[in-house]
Amino acid sequence: MKIKKELWFGFSLMALIIAGALAMLIGAEKITNGHIGLLMLSLVVVAIMLGFPTAFTLMGMGMIFTWIAYEESTAKTLDLMVSSAFKVMSNDVLISIPLFVFMGYLVERANLIEKLFRSLHLALVRLPGALAVATLVTCAVFATATGIVGAVVTLMGLLALPQMLRAGYDVKMSAGAITAGGCLGILIPPSVMLIVYGATAGVSVVQLYAGAFFPGLMLAGLYIGYVIIIAKLKPHMAPPLSEAERYVPLPPLLEKVAPSHGARALPALLSALKGKRNQDVPTRYILKQFGIVLAPLVLFLLVAAWSYSSVTRVEPVEEAVALQAMGGDAAEEAVEEDEGGLQAPPGAEEDEAEAGRAGDVQEPPGAEAAKEPAAVEATKEATATAPAEPASTSKPAPTGYWIGVGAGAVALAAFYALLSFTRLEVFKMLLTSFFPLLVLILAVLGSIVMGLATPTEAAAVGALGGFLLAAAYKQLTLQVVKESVFLTAKTSAMVCWLFVGSAIFSAAFALLGGQELVEHWVMSMNLSKTEFLVLSQVIIFILGWPLEWTEIIVIFMPIFIPLLDNFGVDPLFFGLLVALNLQTAFLSPPVAMAAFYLKGVSPPHVTLNQIFAGMLPFMGIQVLAIILLYQFPAIGLWLPQVLYR
Amino acid sequence: MQNLLLSVDRLSTLIGKVFSWTALVLTLMISWEVFSRYVLNKPHAWMLDFQIMMYGTLFMTAGAYTLSKNGHVRGDVLYGFFAPRTQASIDLVLYFVFFLPGITALTYAGWVYFGESLAIREQTFSAEPLPMYPFKFIIPLSGGILLLQGVVEIIRCIMCIRTGEWPSREEDVEEVDVEKLKEMVHVKDEDIQALDKYVTHEGASK
Repeated sequence: MKIKKELWFGFSLMALIIAGALAMLIGAEKITNGHIGLLMLSLVVVAIMLGFPTAFTLMGMGMIFTWIAYEESTAKTLDLMVSSAFKVMSNDVLISIPLFVFMGYLVERANLIEKLFRSLHLALVRLPGALAVATLVTCAVFATATGIVGAVVTLMGLLALPQMLRAGYDVKMSAGAITAGGCLGILIPPSVMLIVYGATAGVSVVQLYAGAFFPGLMLAGLYIGYVIIIAKLKPHMAPPLSEAERYVPLPPLLEKVAPSHGARALPALLSALKGKRNQDVPTRYILKQFGIVLAPLVLFLLVAAWSYSSVTRVEPVEEAVALQAMGGDAAEEAVEEDEGGLQAPPGAEEDEAEAGRAGDVQEPPGAEAAKEPAAVEATKEATATAPAEPASTSKPAPTGYWIGVGAGAVALAAFYALLSFTRLEVFKMLLTSFFPLLVLILAVLGSIVMGLATPTEAAAVGALGGFLLAAAYKQLTLQVVKESVFLTAKTSAMVCWLFVGSAIFSAAFALLGGQELVEHWVMSMNLSKTEFLVLSQVIIFILGWPLEWTEIIVIFMPIFIPLLDNFGVDPLFFGLLVALNLQTAFLSPPVAMAAFYLKGVSPPHVTLNQIFAGMLPFMGIQVLAIILLYQFPAIGLWLPQVLYR
Repeated sequence: MQNLLLSVDRLSTLIGKVFSWTALVLTLMISWEVFSRYVLNKPHAWMLDFQIMMYGTLFMTAGAYTLSKNGHVRGDVLYGFFAPRTQASIDLVLYFVFFLPGITALTYAGWVYFGESLAIREQTFSAEPLPMYPFKFIIPLSGGILLLQGVVEIIRCIMCIRTGEWPSREEDVEEVDVEKLKEMVHVKDEDIQALDKYVTHEGASK
């Protein structure tokens, strides 16, 4: 019954396309080559829907029509074919595809998703709908790093769905969060989709990555916001967790040190160091905990010092002034020693910390002292006098820098004020799951976007990072490497052979003059820019039903891109809209892959319809995101403009 | 017959797998080049050409491997709903209409292309040139294996039309291997079954 409906749907779509093509042929006064080109286009859509491997469909169809276009000259046809293939083989944009794919497989096999989800869940436990929010964040981070929708949705279906159901979450809501989150990896760079678009449209991948960053974050943010609002408004759909589920067990050694789970970790660890409570706990262990606690502070100081030296490098004189001012602060700091938390000798050598309070006065002077205001601010945040002092008495760095440092310091102070033993445990979990991935993504992305490395280089280093990650999680075996390598070969072959096919096909389409006909036809419709954009997005959205995103991009973008000039649309902006749009295709029934992956691992009574129903609100959010991006192009274009223009 | 088919599968797979290690080579070489350029300040002019060759070789030679595992992307909107016999008939026709002419032409043209390159001992256009013809040889090579694999697939279609079901293939790593993923996160089938009570319970309360 259901199967018949699907077939009926597909066949009627095919019939519609063929009927349209025929109508066009009959309607035309004289059948030119251009008309044949359009006929070819409609035929190829029908042929693809029949299910033959798309790459070969494109190649065969392209070859036949090239032959017609060249007036049956076999030699020319062969020439065109081999040169198209060779062009794809020596394409220096597509080369990053295997590398990003390889990185994704390695990261996936590092097997940190379980820990990632658990730690994020515990970290976000106070939010309404915490489990769903954690699911979305996990999906966003993991999907971004791996880019494999199927694996992410399946894994989250195994991990998050049971927990959400047990916690009494609505089935639809849980399914929606998992599927929508899993698809985020397609949009948030580094994503393969943007490389494919860049290679097809001739837009710089670097700019696309910079451009897609904020829309991607915005989409993730909208999802999360939606989940939180729903959980607030309809608590029965996403009930808060019970105390028992929020409980984080401490390791036995830490249990001995901690006066209570809620106690502040920093002072407690300090007093433990003094020797009262640590009879059975090895000092090394406490020092280790202490090091972990101080890590953010050290990181903050290093970043502050580094950026300080980079903003003030041009004015060495003023820096000296600053140092004096800070010397004064360092003295003040000594007075405040009871506060604890001042013991932040840069580098936080464990022994130094052990040496106790006296140590912090003898901190390395000179340039290192530049780090001091941060530490002072961190503890004196309540009085709020210290931040003002260095800023007003000397102006070594731009105000923006001090604002940044101040904000960071306040955040850090809040972090330490709130850092209980429970939170320390969660923080440690995040440290081993969330942050490594985040650092990997940001390093890859940052080096591309800041222009430090080409996408290819960043991808290769990212893949190396994937290796390190897998090694760090003790998952790096020959078997894992083998599997990742083979999968990489298969996935790259899949995408790149599609390019070989489409290169031949597009060449045929151009030779036949189909492009001019389309252009002529579109221009004769007298569309405004907005109408054109809406129309093109609607067409792409509809194509998203029968076709996959790869096919849509490689076949249809070469047709759309030349039209953009006529309407004054930036191909970069268009690419962002297309990327957002194709995201929706992943969530739109009846061919939403994500739903089928989730169905494969969900309990038998979760129906596909429930999953689809759960995806609908998220699809609505995607449409909202497209409208937002259209209304405020700056969301996408601001970063590329700042960086490259 | 099945044995013959599988041995061709194995050949394609072997070639694909051997060349797939170029992904690893690519990763290590580029990482080294990044280090060499930014830290040692010693870039290599031939590196870019070499990278491109590695990448081209990787995906071209994996074409037949991917085909032997039925891994090329298909328009799935209808195909999955057809009976195996219908699937095989459509495939069979389209192998003859699109695949065989296309790949034969590509292989032949690639062979000529390689021959021309070999005749002049073509090199890359760079300060430190690399020979170009081995890279161009990849086109007829991958085309040839793909053709062979295509013939095997055609025989599979015929067998399927006769018997009504697809002949089996050898297993290979899959992108989404549900069993493996379950093992990875320590979830068992019983756990999933046990969850059903939450789902049905919810349905009842509505």
